Amino acid sequence: MNYLSEMIGLPVYDATGEKIGEVNDIGIATGEIFPRVTSLAFRGPSRTPFMISWRKYVDNITDKGVYLQVAAEDIRFSYLQPSELLLARDLLDKQIVDTQGLKVVRVNDLKLSQSGKDQLRLLGAETGIRGILRQLWPPLEKFALKVSSLFGKKLDERLIAWNYMDLLDRDLSQVKLSITHKRLDELHPADVADIIEQLDPRLRANVFASLDAEVASATMSELEDEYQADVIDDMDESFASSMIAGMDPDDAADLLNELSYDKAEKLLHLMGVHEQKSIRKLLGFKDETAGGIMTSEFVALDEESTVSDTVDYIRALDEEHPSFHYVYTLDRDGILSGVLSLRTLVLAQPDELLKDLAYTDLITANPEEDQEEVAISIMKYDLLALPVVDENYRLLGIVTVDDALDVLQEEHEEDLQLAGDNRAVEGDKLISNIMWFVRRQLWFFIWLILGVIAFGTGAIADYAFLLAALPIVLIIADDMTSYASNYAIEYAGNDEDAPSPLSLTVQNLLIGLSVGGFLGLLAFVAISLFNDPLLSHNFKLIAVAGGITIALTIFASGIYMYLMKARTDKGKDPGTYLTSVVSMLMASVIYFGLAYALTHFFGLVG
Amino acid sequence: MAQTTETIDQNQNQNASSNKPKWLLVLGAMGPGILTAMAGNDAGGISTYSSAGALFGYKTLWMILVMTFLLIVAQESACRMGVVTGKGFASLIREKFGVRLTAFAMLALVISNVAINFSNFAGIASGMELFGVPKYISLPFAGIAVWLLIMSGSYRRVEKILLAVSSVFITYVIAAFLAGPDWGQVAKSTFIPQVVPSASFISLTIAAIGATIAPWMIFLAQNNVVDKGAGVESLPYQRIDAVTGSVLGCLIAWFIIITTGTILHPQGIVIAEAADAARALAPIAGPFAEKLFAAGLVAASFLAACVLPGVTSSAVCEAFGWERGENRTWEEAPTYKTISTIVIISGVVVVLTPNINLFQMMVTAQVIAGVLLPVLLFFLIFIINDKRIMGKFTNGRVWNVLTWLTIIIVTILTIAMFVLEFLNIG
Repeated sequence: MNYLSEMIGLPVYDATGEKIGEVNDIGIATGEIFPRVTSLAFRGPSRTPFMISWRKYVDNITDKGVYLQVAAEDIRFSYLQPSELLLARDLLDKQIVDTQGLKVVRVNDLKLSQSGKDQLRLLGAETGIRGILRQLWPPLEKFALKVSSLFGKKLDERLIAWNYMDLLDRDLSQVKLSITHKRLDELHPADVADIIEQLDPRLRANVFASLDAEVASATMSELEDEYQADVIDDMDESFASSMIAGMDPDDAADLLNELSYDKAEKLLHLMGVHEQKSIRKLLGFKDETAGGIMTSEFVALDEESTVSDTVDYIRALDEEHPSFHYVYTLDRDGILSGVLSLRTLVLAQPDELLKDLAYTDLITANPEEDQEEVAISIMKYDLLALPVVDENYRLLGIVTVDDALDVLQEEHEEDLQLAGDNRAVEGDKLISNIMWFVRRQLWFFIWLILGVIAFGTGAIADYAFLLAALPIVLIIADDMTSYASNYAIEYAGNDEDAPSPLSLTVQNLLIGLSVGGFLGLLAFVAISLFNDPLLSHNFKLIAVAGGITIALTIFASGIYMYLMKARTDKGKDPGTYLTSVVSMLMASVIYFGLAYALTHFFGLVG
Repeated sequence: MAQTTETIDQNQNQNASSNKPKWLLVLGAMGPGILTAMAGNDAGGISTYSSAGALFGYKTLWMILVMTFLLIVAQESACRMGVVTGKGFASLIREKFGVRLTAFAMLALVISNVAINFSNFAGIASGMELFGVPKYISLPFAGIAVWLLIMSGSYRRVEKILLAVSSVFITYVIAAFLAGPDWGQVAKSTFIPQVVPSASFISLTIAAIGATIAPWMIFLAQNNVVDKGAGVESLPYQRIDAVTGSVLGCLIAWFIIITTGTILHPQGIVIAEAADAARALAPIAGPFAEKLFAAGLVAASFLAACVLPGVTSSAVCEAFGWERGENRTWEEAPTYKTISTIVIISGVVVVLTPNINLFQMMVTAQVIAGVLLPVLLFFLIFIINDKRIMGKFTNGRVWNVLTWLTIIIVTILTIAMFVLEFLNIG
């Protein structure tokens, strides 16, 4: 349940499971950056409108309906407060001013999100085409997404957050739009991260800027990897740097790994020496290994220390030091010798030595070990953290149980995907597999469609021969596009080494003529072999029409090269897919057009 | 943002001008309503009126009164909605009735407007041919002229130019006087309804009234007021403009019927389109009458061809929340400019296509427009009676009755049209 358009019309059930009405509208409290939903308006029997408090009565909302906590007779109805407004009545389909983009836009839908247990918040107004399609008919939106992804484009949502809206309608001008950011800070960082992930990309950095440094660091750690780098790129560098410094070193190192080398270096230079050092230690390790997921912040002391020394040490630790559950002991050479839990420490006498208390039968990992194996070890031995040591048994860092859980989840999802690809059971998977096949073997489908058209119009008899040879034309057209796009990608932004357009044109022309000519020749050989008048007519037709089409197609690939290179030079993707569609369609048109012209105007039929 | 500030600027202009004499204020408000009503007499309208006169003489003149009444109701409502809300009709439909109904209305509007625009370009072509200009020359020129005018970037300038163009309608008045009708008979027929009990009379009546209020005219009337930036304080003057425009527009139709009714009807000459009428006038009333009629046809078609692309793309853009307006650049309002351009180009290309069945397209357009109009009027009456939208400017009781009457008349005519179409009469 993410959109208002999906919520309106949902049935409302009371605690006894009886349907008492249908959702009509949803009220929000203004004054927060992501306003909370405060009331539910629904239409009871005989279309009477009712309004109730969301917080008091709504238990949960699913795509099946809204479920209340109490029975119908215990509900007390409420009225709309002056600081509240109704989403459907006041915002949906209305015009608002996008104060960031400085233009008037229309609200096509409103996006909401569950935050916390049973709180619903307004994320923003959607003003893009997707909202229109969803309101028209939800499958239409899904279809449009499929089609656009087929062409390699992503149909993004265009969200405008509450604090960037200005209402145009005069009635609503008294509603206070001032935003206090305090509320957002009060949410758990994981919830804030969930909200941020659902926002329009250009809004994400802005929301971060409104958080205080500590919450921002925690939120950034909670953000999915795929969003982190984008958000950092949009941020002010000094803010980004101090935020990364505030993160756990292992998370910070992961994040920096996602960034470009220059950017990462710049950010590292901006932060304090201590943070920089602890992050740099982790940067060298490969992703998906024990080294890649370990943190360098752990507590390790000389094994000769007493318990009271240790407690003093822990007391003196920085406030921001991540919480820990084990204390590691090192021998005189700095080699890892044992571990003891905080519990052991608490129960021991103050003057006892660590080496007498420590557990020395250690489970360790080396930094190159696969992250999944490390995670499995942690699970198997029920550990809260696992030390990572180098070949000399020197302690490099520890992998904590929360990171291990992340790893297991990641790997689980990967496994699922692999399994899904092989079996293709799910509907969506099947469709995407078909789509993939269509993209790869498009010539086949164009051929099929043209064949069906010819069959449908009853022209199959006339065109059967032409159709039989069409795949050659189509495949060459397809291949020429990939040839052109390879050229564009290879020489993107590099004009010195790239062959000149003129020489390419001449070269393509020569190749085209020779390939076309060769195929023509083959056909004429076939004619002389069979010596049948109808067959020879058809072969002649294919030879001439196909030969010329192929020559033209190869020649045209020079133009594609030029156009695609212009695109890649600008840093865009070359648009291979669309070009190959165009190229194949053009080839088909030329091929059939020529065949038609040859038979009807030049009397090739004889 | 730009839109809001502009409105404020214009409101200030209006306040600054409030110490001017009243007649100047009235004159300043003139334009939106007149332009709409004049553009409403497009190629299709002129053909209908011409053939009504030719077929039945003065017997159809009384329809003009009905048409004037309907047009005043529709135009005044549109003008009031525009002045009070500062939004176009498409905006209001979207805000009141949601995406689905809006999408349906827009689809019908676009189809009918595009088809009507074919008839306008066809009108330009056949009118110019009477001056000896082949359509392969006149149409591309007309297309470019329309495009340049729409893209030129200022509503106020476009309004002035189009008002100047619409003064060419005076040719129909001159032509009527040249024809020398029996004015007593004309007056009698105008005020005493007569019915010829034949299917073609009924279908012609429907067509004439249908040509008076086309769906797009509601959008145009309202947009013109909004684009002019008229505020609530200028409502009385805008009302004067709306009523004057409706009366003038119908008066032109009246003169056209008089002309063909005086000259062609007694001879029993039946015509299919406006250019036929002009051609038929030549042997009887002299070449001057023919040229007058042709010039009127070209101007009328050109006028409508200028407003239709804009009104179509405005409505669509407003409904779906894209930037719109003549004052916007291509970068600011790409969709608006693209739709306008496509409507113009399709008009030129379709009319130039050999062997195309324009007549069938016109009939289809008329059917769609006929269905759309009552629906739009229903939207209109619900919007205009919504206090949240119109504040204290909702319909009074009398005006409500008149609007419902309009809806009933239009609905009955639409049903009648379908029955006739179904029975293949007319």
